[in-house]
Amino acid sequence: MKRKKYVYLLALLPFIVLTVMYEILPLIGVIAGSFVSDESGAATFTNYTTIFSKLLYQKAVKNSLKISLISSLGGILIAFLGAKSYYEKRGRLGEIFMTILNMVSNFAGIPLAFAYMILLGNAGVMVQFGRLTGIDALANFNLYSSNGMTFMYIYFQIPLATLLLIPAFNGIRKEWQEAALLLGTGSTGFWMKVGIPVLMPSILSSFSVLFANALAAYATAYALMMNMLPLLPIQIAGCFVGDVKMQRGLGSALSVVMMILMVIMIFITNTISKRFQKGAETR
Amino acid sequence: MKKKNGLSVLLIILILIWLLVPLAVSLIYSLFSNWTGIIPKGFSLDAYQSVLTDPQFLKALGQTILVCIVPILLTNVIVLLTLFTVTAYFPKLEKYVQIICMIPYTVQGVILSVSILSLYVGGSGFFASRLVMLMGAYCIIILPYTYQGIRNSMRAVNMPMLLDAAQMLGCSRIEAFFKVVVPNIMPGIIVSSLLAVGIIFGDYVLIRNLAGSTVTNVQMYLYQVMKADSRKSSATFILIMLVMFLITAVVLVLRSRSEKGKRN
Repeated sequence: MKRKKYVYLLALLPFIVLTVMYEILPLIGVIAGSFVSDESGAATFTNYTTIFSKLLYQKAVKNSLKISLISSLGGILIAFLGAKSYYEKRGRLGEIFMTILNMVSNFAGIPLAFAYMILLGNAGVMVQFGRLTGIDALANFNLYSSNGMTFMYIYFQIPLATLLLIPAFNGIRKEWQEAALLLGTGSTGFWMKVGIPVLMPSILSSFSVLFANALAAYATAYALMMNMLPLLPIQIAGCFVGDVKMQRGLGSALSVVMMILMVIMIFITNTISKRFQKGAETR
Repeated sequence: MKKKNGLSVLLIILILIWLLVPLAVSLIYSLFSNWTGIIPKGFSLDAYQSVLTDPQFLKALGQTILVCIVPILLTNVIVLLTLFTVTAYFPKLEKYVQIICMIPYTVQGVILSVSILSLYVGGSGFFASRLVMLMGAYCIIILPYTYQGIRNSMRAVNMPMLLDAAQMLGCSRIEAFFKVVVPNIMPGIIVSSLLAVGIIFGDYVLIRNLAGSTVTNVQMYLYQVMKADSRKSSATFILIMLVMFLITAVVLVLRSRSEKGKRN
């Protein structure tokens, strides 16, 4: 019987082959490759020193961090308001809201960049409208800047963030709100002192998902800016695909930096989140 | 209480407007030949006609469907086989399978594509083929969704109990798996496969970095026409979004149906 059982390990073979070949080996390859010099092929740290000494890569890291942080913050804020409204309203409008959130949750990348160009590009519909009506904020809107990019990123963060947050609101019981009301705390007080702290772990974990999502977003940025605004994912792809010679070491090191940034964000949000959960236990 | 409800309604409507305006504007843009003032003029469907008769578009569409089907079938079969074997014979391996299946969530497209590329591009033969690399990458990128979909449905039907019951009635485990478990979790498999279709349909980074110019998909087509003809690209855009919405609609209907089934 014992021997027969191990025959079934063969059934795991396709899974092992697939994941080793296309997930595990490539990742190990990237990490190992980041320590190999592109010129000599010897083991080295120069790829990392290049990233932190060359202005282009410093800018790419900085821009990516800035856009990801701000768009995640903006996204989570709007999503919080949206999920809270859904929690309070539900009904027919809530159903429509959920359906549309699901529908647009795949709306990103090239199509999103295209829609925003039509809307807010140099000759965009809204920009023309702003010129005709004299609304300067619209007429002078510059989509092709890091602020314009952030604005566009917020768009694709909203459906994702709201869909992540809505289930968390189910954990807030109506009785708590009633109790708070009886104790003389209004709605705002309830959310500040009870609602948000209870939701904080979900908010933080959603935030780190959004951050990773924005940090790795390639197609949206590429379609809009090509290489005009240095961004981490675009620089990574540029090291491997493009006109110049493949810079495997440098590209791998940039990939490792990106993964480290994601891990740091997960670590930070987890640490803060634990503090909130501990607070909930002692309360 | 009434007033607060009003605020919620207002917020939801504002967010909906924010989400729908880019879609609505592109739709109008694709339907009218002249939109320089406030009101668009010259209604026509010629943009759609020129896209739908463009052999480049039809080729891209065909290739998109092809590169969808193979990885999704492959991943579903592999994950089914793996989860069956692990739950039935090696429960201790379950957490390792889970970790491996969830890694692609955090790795995401850019890093996955360049890492596969740099590993296989120099070689020769089957694995150095651009198409094979792309299929492999697609299998990995949809792995978390397929895994979660199948695992959740296996839990929902209580697979170990079904297997035991079938065994008592004289069925072998493998037979029971294919005759009892798989038909029961089919709705879950369909939903996660549709989500996977949505992901592959919306992919640009993997196909651009891995396939080079050997394979195109509708996203690459959109990128090409975007630079040349904005009306034609707005029609392409609307067609892509229609397909995406259709997929989501089917997923939502299937999900709500299975939830109703559970309640009954």
